[in-house]
Amino acid sequence: MMQVRELTKQYDGKVVVDGVTFQIPKGKVTSLIGPNGAGKSTVLNMISRLVARDSGLVDFDGKDIGKWKSKELSKRLAILTQTNNIQMKLTVRELVAFGRFPYSGSHTTAEDEAIIDRAIAYMELEDFQDRFIDELSGGQRQRAYIAMVIAQDTEYILLDEPTNNLDIYHATNMMKIVRRLCDELDKTVILVLHEINYAAFYSDYICAFKDGKIAKFAPVKEVMTKEVLSQIYQVDFEILNIQGKPLSIYY
Amino acid sequence: MFIKRYRLTLVLALLLVVLSVASLFIGVMDVNLTGLMSGQAQQWKIFLISRLPRLLAILCTGVGMSVAGLIMQQLCMNKFVSPTTGATISSAQFGILLALLFLPNSTLWGRAIFAFAFAILGTWIFVWFIQRIQFKDVVMVPLVGIMFGNVIGGITNYLAYQYEMTQALSTWLVGHFSLVLRGRYEIVYLVVPLVILAFLFANHFNIVGMGRDFSKNLGVHYNFVLFMGLTIAAMITAAVVVVVGSISYIGLIVPNVVAMFKGDKIRGTLVDTALFGAVFVLACDMLARVVIAPYELPIELIVGIVGSLIFIGLLLYRLKHGRKAIRLGPAHAGSCAAAVKEGGQSA
Amino acid sequence: MKTAAHRGNRTKLLVLAALVLLAAAAYMLVEVNFSNPKLLRFSMQLRTPKLLVMLIAAFAIGGASIVFQSVINNTIVTPCLLGMNSLYTLIHTAVVFTAGSGSILAVNANAAFAVDLVLMGVAAMVIYGYLFQKTRHNVLYVLLIGTVLTSFFGSIQSTLTRVMDPNEYDALLTTLVASFSNVNGEIIAFSLVVLAVIILVLRRDLAQLDVLTLGKDQAINLGVDYDRSVRRLLLGVTLSIAVATAMVGPISFMGLIIANLSRQLLRTYRHSQLVLGSALFGMLILVAGQLVVEHVFTYAIPISVFITVGGGIYFLYLLLARRRV
Repeated sequence: MMQVRELTKQYDGKVVVDGVTFQIPKGKVTSLIGPNGAGKSTVLNMISRLVARDSGLVDFDGKDIGKWKSKELSKRLAILTQTNNIQMKLTVRELVAFGRFPYSGSHTTAEDEAIIDRAIAYMELEDFQDRFIDELSGGQRQRAYIAMVIAQDTEYILLDEPTNNLDIYHATNMMKIVRRLCDELDKTVILVLHEINYAAFYSDYICAFKDGKIAKFAPVKEVMTKEVLSQIYQVDFEILNIQGKPLSIYY
Repeated sequence: MFIKRYRLTLVLALLLVVLSVASLFIGVMDVNLTGLMSGQAQQWKIFLISRLPRLLAILCTGVGMSVAGLIMQQLCMNKFVSPTTGATISSAQFGILLALLFLPNSTLWGRAIFAFAFAILGTWIFVWFIQRIQFKDVVMVPLVGIMFGNVIGGITNYLAYQYEMTQALSTWLVGHFSLVLRGRYEIVYLVVPLVILAFLFANHFNIVGMGRDFSKNLGVHYNFVLFMGLTIAAMITAAVVVVVGSISYIGLIVPNVVAMFKGDKIRGTLVDTALFGAVFVLACDMLARVVIAPYELPIELIVGIVGSLIFIGLLLYRLKHGRKAIRLGPAHAGSCAAAVKEGGQSA
Repeated sequence: MKTAAHRGNRTKLLVLAALVLLAAAAYMLVEVNFSNPKLLRFSMQLRTPKLLVMLIAAFAIGGASIVFQSVINNTIVTPCLLGMNSLYTLIHTAVVFTAGSGSILAVNANAAFAVDLVLMGVAAMVIYGYLFQKTRHNVLYVLLIGTVLTSFFGSIQSTLTRVMDPNEYDALLTTLVASFSNVNGEIIAFSLVVLAVIILVLRRDLAQLDVLTLGKDQAINLGVDYDRSVRRLLLGVTLSIAVATAMVGPISFMGLIIANLSRQLLRTYRHSQLVLGSALFGMLILVAGQLVVEHVFTYAIPISVFITVGGGIYFLYLLLARRRV
């Protein structure tokens, strides 16, 4: 269980995250949305210990996230950011194998190999597994990283703008993968998204940020209304109902 | 209104005058105002042969090196480029060595021409080089420049060893004013017309600094202005290196300190940069003459110590506070492309 | 995972090791008078410690450079950019300056070496620790400040030598420049112990190097205590460079060349192999280079000059070939 209380962060004297309090619903997909600079990525980075917070609590299974041993935490919670530039010659399989590092270090066991095989198969990367990461397309590379996170075998998966730099085809595929991580593998997924409609269509909860504060944190249907969205983004919205899901049009 | 607007400039100018006068009367031999007034021949001799040339050389060095640094920073769109971090100084030294090798009887002017040619060439190659590479971070550019300078320095060293010229070369490796005497320093006056030229073209440099497309849009000939600007900076540097030797950091620190107070627009900061550069070198020179009097330390060592400390402080300050200028009267926050990627933490 | 590439690399490393042995044998035996046992013994006594010194220094520089590049996550940097060479020279000068040329430190090379190393470790920890804290672990800024520190230390060092008594300056010069030739067996043993202790203390952090190359975010995600590991590894790098500098003097570009040659040859992320490759390349270059310097140039030009020029050109080639930094 993850609970966040009064989380605050400043950059250069400017308050970016301002007293944010929420609780992550377990076994669900939660999307963090909001305008640029609203603080959503910073919140994600703070609850995953990548960025130090100024004040506030991040309670993870009864213990503050700063009190966890980093290695133990990495068996429970995985984070994938956008900045993944690798300078080394690394194959897909070798990358996925790194997911077992918290468990076995650099020497993988037979059990680890089996888990790696499954992760690669799950992401349909068998044909690419001996290719170098820097020779892959953006979509394939993103899938390889997800496979690593699957091999890491954590309950919580945090993703920072996983659809960034992907075209519509690959972005939509990525969102379907996110949904499957939750439905088939019982993961709790928390992700930052720019595309409101992806958030609406594929997640269970939406947490909308504005000016460093939470404007609305509720099931998708309650956030995806004309009034709420217009107030957050300061433009006019229309809500349509497609396949039983509320999608928005803005202009 | 006038005073408020030019407060920094006036303060710097006043400081420069005071320090200049003080500098004239510091030294082993006693020279004082009463002596000069009463027309003592000995004192006048020292004054005219040693003290005055020294002061003029210091002023030219300070003004020249800081203006050269400012031009290079503006043209390369990077706050960390300077004659030191752009291979200009090491190229000039390389040129001097070649002159010593191939024209052993060359005059100061002969060496100067070699230094000019190689400083210009080295700077051009460096800029051509960095324009060909995509940098992920502004800080990489000076690092590459330092490595580049090391390579040229290495070749210079190799030749110096090969032809047993290390001793002769060492004069130009560590800058000092102690050999500035009447008759052997006048090349440094070349700095004056070059700085005037820089002042006339200041706006052009500003525009070219905004990028190729930006300049084209405003009808400025990008390549021509870029290469002319670099040539001016390189010639200023070479003129100083030939006379006093290598003096690092001035071109790096002075423009950065001034920009912190006044923003990045070159036209508005050129005068202040020149004045502050002169004050800085003058102060360092006085320190160098006082510390182990009656001997003196080469200015390069004092600048190396004081300058690097200031620069580190500057870096840490920028890292902590982003690129905000220190507010001082009606400061206009600079908005040039100079350090585009800094402070890149977004929410 | 024993892949084909892995086995291929083992062959490459074996070939490299064979070349090192060849160079070492050549260094020991070229122009040796075998007919006269006395002369033979004399040249062996003269050459053995020099060879050992080169091998140890190459190992220290090679390992430190690979570790440093992986920690900084940039393959065109070398630890000498942090100003560690000049810090060492400064510390050594300062020790001679304060202790005086008549003191035990100036006479006993071993004591001087130990004092230098301890001071270097403390100074590096304080200075670079402070910088890392101040820049919030922004390695690029630390690097730029390091290059500035190079001239800062250098300037203080030359100021000290100018203020110094000329006799003490002469004594200093022999220990600073000629350290390569007058190394004794005790210093060799001592440096081996220091290097072994460094590796032993850092073995956990060294095992995390493969993960560190994935970048800060990924390393933290995989359970690495990033800041602590980086700090410890950099301290190890500093001490290794100090050991190497004390033995062979400053060789600026050497680390850059050998680390990149190793990366180009092995094309792997595995640091056990990369470090080994880099160390072997270092040994090859130092021993073969010294052979050439001694017998072709008859000591006219120091080896460091060749390495600076060759390394610099290689560096510029790397930049142009990659086009991205």
